[in-house]
Amino acid sequence: MIVHARAAPAGPQRVVVLGAHGFIGAALIARLKQAGIPILPLASKELDLAASDAPGKLARLLEPSDSVVMLAALTPDKGRDAGTLLRNVAMMQAVCAAFEETGCAHLVYFSSDAVYGPGPSLVSEETPAAPQDFYGAMHLSRELMASGVKAPLLVLRPTLVYGAGDPHNAYGPNRFRRAAREQGKIQLFGEGEETRDHIHVHDVAEIACLCLQHGSRGTLNVATGRSLSFRGVAELVAAQSHKQPVEIAAGARTNPVTHRHYDVTALLKAFPGYRFISLEEGVARCHGAP
Amino acid sequence: MSRPVIAFAGMTHLGLVSGVAASEKGFRVVCFDPDARRIAALRRKELPVSEPQLEHLLAKNSERLVFTSSAEDLKSCDVIYVAPDVPTDDAGASDLAPINSMLERVFLAAGPNAVVVVLSQVPPGYTRRKQHPDRALHYQVETLIFGRAVERALVPERYIVGCADPAAPLPATYRAFLEAHGCPILPMRYESAELCKISINMFLVSSVTTSNVLAELCEKTGADWSEIAPALKLDRRIGPHAYLAPGLGIAGGNLERDLATVCRFADELGTDAAVVRAWLANSRHRRDWALRTLHDEVLSKADDPVIAVLGLAYKQDTHSTKNSPSLALLKHLQRFSLRLHDPVVPAAEAGHPRAYAARSALEACEGADALVIMTPWKEFASLSPADIARRMRGNVVLDPHGVLDAKACREAGLRYRTLGAPA
Repeated sequence: MIVHARAAPAGPQRVVVLGAHGFIGAALIARLKQAGIPILPLASKELDLAASDAPGKLARLLEPSDSVVMLAALTPDKGRDAGTLLRNVAMMQAVCAAFEETGCAHLVYFSSDAVYGPGPSLVSEETPAAPQDFYGAMHLSRELMASGVKAPLLVLRPTLVYGAGDPHNAYGPNRFRRAAREQGKIQLFGEGEETRDHIHVHDVAEIACLCLQHGSRGTLNVATGRSLSFRGVAELVAAQSHKQPVEIAAGARTNPVTHRHYDVTALLKAFPGYRFISLEEGVARCHGAP
Repeated sequence: MSRPVIAFAGMTHLGLVSGVAASEKGFRVVCFDPDARRIAALRRKELPVSEPQLEHLLAKNSERLVFTSSAEDLKSCDVIYVAPDVPTDDAGASDLAPINSMLERVFLAAGPNAVVVVLSQVPPGYTRRKQHPDRALHYQVETLIFGRAVERALVPERYIVGCADPAAPLPATYRAFLEAHGCPILPMRYESAELCKISINMFLVSSVTTSNVLAELCEKTGADWSEIAPALKLDRRIGPHAYLAPGLGIAGGNLERDLATVCRFADELGTDAAVVRAWLANSRHRRDWALRTLHDEVLSKADDPVIAVLGLAYKQDTHSTKNSPSLALLKHLQRFSLRLHDPVVPAAEAGHPRAYAARSALEACEGADALVIMTPWKEFASLSPADIARRMRGNVVLDPHGVLDAKACREAGLRYRTLGAPA
């Protein structure tokens, strides 16, 4: 659940985006520009948060009135080991140290639904965090580190994000779309029975932008509340594919079937009447994208 | 032995209803409250609560009823019930200060042979801590149900009496009063009686929560809970009076208090209360059914929709809005235009910036894109779906408690959603 500092959306004066070149970062910057909000985008090329001089460099770039969005992280494709965990923790330490020096107005930390364990299929913000891998543990650790900064903190926990421009090829809409286009075949694990919630990157950017404008604090899952089986996603992608027909192939199952649904009541309370991009529309928006 | 004189100290919901019911049973009753303004209002027959029969019985038995703000008037009473409502905070924790102070007043004012009975809801261990060596003190379980309080006081199912020594006979005056109601009397030790009250509510909550869990599953699988519930009631282990109606979580304050008490004791004593916390989580989840459904059906589709909401009280036949699902819903509809109506609770109580106070249920429906019936008042059941459909601009009806006839609604062209049934 989140609480708004401003009932009506306004500002903020400037948003500093750490991890600006990432999938979500790029979408957020585009949305903030559209809203006319001044931004300072920072990617690892401009500022390596893992470097020893990062706290001082970042502190010199920050203004006390800034809102800071922390998206920078080494994602699982860069490593799933303890070393990656420690490098990610060091990056967050740099952000916290810079905050200590500058004391910004608002910190938005982009966490992940990986902080939840595999147990409960229906997840809300009240679901206890129980990470099962270093990636989830990293995000939970960074949430705890962020809670120590002297600024209102918002933690966003997005679920599976898709959309044009996604550099990852994770199992789901993006991989299915590419596979349908290039091979005319979508390969499922098992029968694709698992249900998941897929959210379009534009929704993630929109919700983050709203939170920045309202000065929101607390913890919010960023999900649509609509889960669909991977087979359902594959059928949807196949139906929209320019290449026809698209074969949907069942495969061997190595892991047990699990499901994940989101109770998004907290999001509906925070932003009444919010309209999510449906999966049909979201996949359609990706046509032509690599 | 002449009929004992009965007193009730604390003229809030419990004390007032119990006092009026005792007068209806033919007893002389002293109704005491230190708040002189409250007593003056009661003398003018202005009631602070709404309960079926209460006004009528107050007028009918006024000769046997004395309303007083003077503790001196307790001196002549044989049995004195200490019955102020025990307020709770948002987490369900009881504030025992009002009952502590009332009990002290009563001990000071009561005659030497008076029997003092704690009727308010107190946690296990409370009554034994309040024992005085020269006082007969008992605890009696109240099972007040909002909207049925008078009926329950006149025809109780049983009396559960907490005693210092359950083997000792009850004082004659107290026994005479209880026996006048013709129901079983179950003496037990203080702590058992205090926990018995909580146990009754725990079983009630477990039935309600189980119904809610299964009703939600019905909504997603095509099953209909209204077809399942009658079959369960024919099972002897569940029974015909089991609470199987799905609802919008637990509300009203009393059940939440008991859940909070059990969790607190379990934490202190190291017993397992995980299931109770799961009930609370499910209650919060189901409370927001209307918001989620309204979002799916209307809020995410229409620009600036008008929402008609019938019912503000937490349940029918009561003025109480404590933990009302209706008010909880309205809190999250601040930016939308609302048309509100409740037979008892004024629309102003919602404190909504864009709310219109409709004089009738049908007037509330005028021009609405969606109608939400949040409290199952009887008068809403007599609304004709065709009349509703004619007045509305849209056609979405959310009727969580199934007040209206689902088939008639669909025939009238309404898109009808209720708990425990598929869309």
